[in-house]
Amino acid sequence: MGTVQSLRRFAEVDDDEVDAAPLIAAAGAGDKRSFERLYGLFAPRVFGLCLRLTGQRETAEDCTQECFVLAWRSLRQFEHRSRFSTWLQQIAVRTVLARRRGLRVRHEVAEPATGLPDIADPGAEAPPLDLERAIAALPEGARDVLVLVGVYGYSHSEAAQALGVAEGTCKAQLHRARGLLTSALGLEHT
Amino acid sequence: MNEPKPSLDELLARMPRDIPPSRNLWTDISSDIERRPRRIGMWAMAASVAAICLTGGLTLAIIHGAATRAPGADTRIAQTPNRVPNRGPNFDEPRNPAYQAARAELESSFKERLALLDPKTRAKIEASLAVIQQAHEDMRQALEAQPSNPVLEGLLESTWQDEFDLYDDVVRNTQPAMLRS
Repeated sequence: MGTVQSLRRFAEVDDDEVDAAPLIAAAGAGDKRSFERLYGLFAPRVFGLCLRLTGQRETAEDCTQECFVLAWRSLRQFEHRSRFSTWLQQIAVRTVLARRRGLRVRHEVAEPATGLPDIADPGAEAPPLDLERAIAALPEGARDVLVLVGVYGYSHSEAAQALGVAEGTCKAQLHRARGLLTSALGLEHT
Repeated sequence: MNEPKPSLDELLARMPRDIPPSRNLWTDISSDIERRPRRIGMWAMAASVAAICLTGGLTLAIIHGAATRAPGADTRIAQTPNRVPNRGPNFDEPRNPAYQAARAELESSFKERLALLDPKTRAKIEASLAVIQQAHEDMRQALEAQPSNPVLEGLLESTWQDEFDLYDDVVRNTQPAMLRS
């Protein structure tokens, strides 16, 4: 997984971050139009993360919306110690986790990890639909770690911190997720 | 000729990180921002704050635990008269079915990998594991005699984590380089 993380981090394009700097400053000062442009730049990243963590499009939309509202309220506290996209993703993860807990407390039911019939971008090259569905079908804890570490390039330490679990738990869940995905996709076990 | 199947890592690396929402959410976000922010969706805000506090608390406990190997005090222990630092909240793991399942899988992988190692290396690892497991059992028995002793609980957690780390180290260090985390 380290190789994947390295490749992802290496390949990550900073253009959005560069474009975002003046927008962040303006939005922090209360300029809604600048914040709308930030939404335009970063909504796909936040929505993609929420969709994969929740497995449900409507829930992911709600979480994305909540994430940007919370970001607007907290923007003055953003101190550029991390990338803006990283900061937003942290809010997104917390929003998803908070929503899960809220739903459980209120309704005593867990959100089911249903399939993702239309998750892939129709214009994307060779959309790995089987993989998306297999990830959505993973148990919640394993899915969370796989999405953060495997897809979004978090380190175990970062994922553990974001999810509020021990790093050992994170590693164990990733191991479990990899095994389940390998079986589900008929890949060769290593 | 059939092309070889891509590996899981290759498949994961190909996944797009960005997925545009199917509708423009800005209108709703804008409305939320326009309305009195802290009156709307209070439960969601409260839940978010709770999650942040919980995450922060857990992180502190983890960091403290990792640094001292005798993890930081949880609320319950902090209220005891002698305020002895004790186990963090993460030591509920042994009772967590999801964690147990994941740990069992890791242990199974560990045993498979161990069997493939040369006898000398395998003997050293088995000796280390025996020491850890004996220490864990000693702590468990001591706790039976002194239930809720915070120092013993901390040591019990430490040996539990040591055993896990050993499994993890062996599994990760015997994987092909590409799969290492």
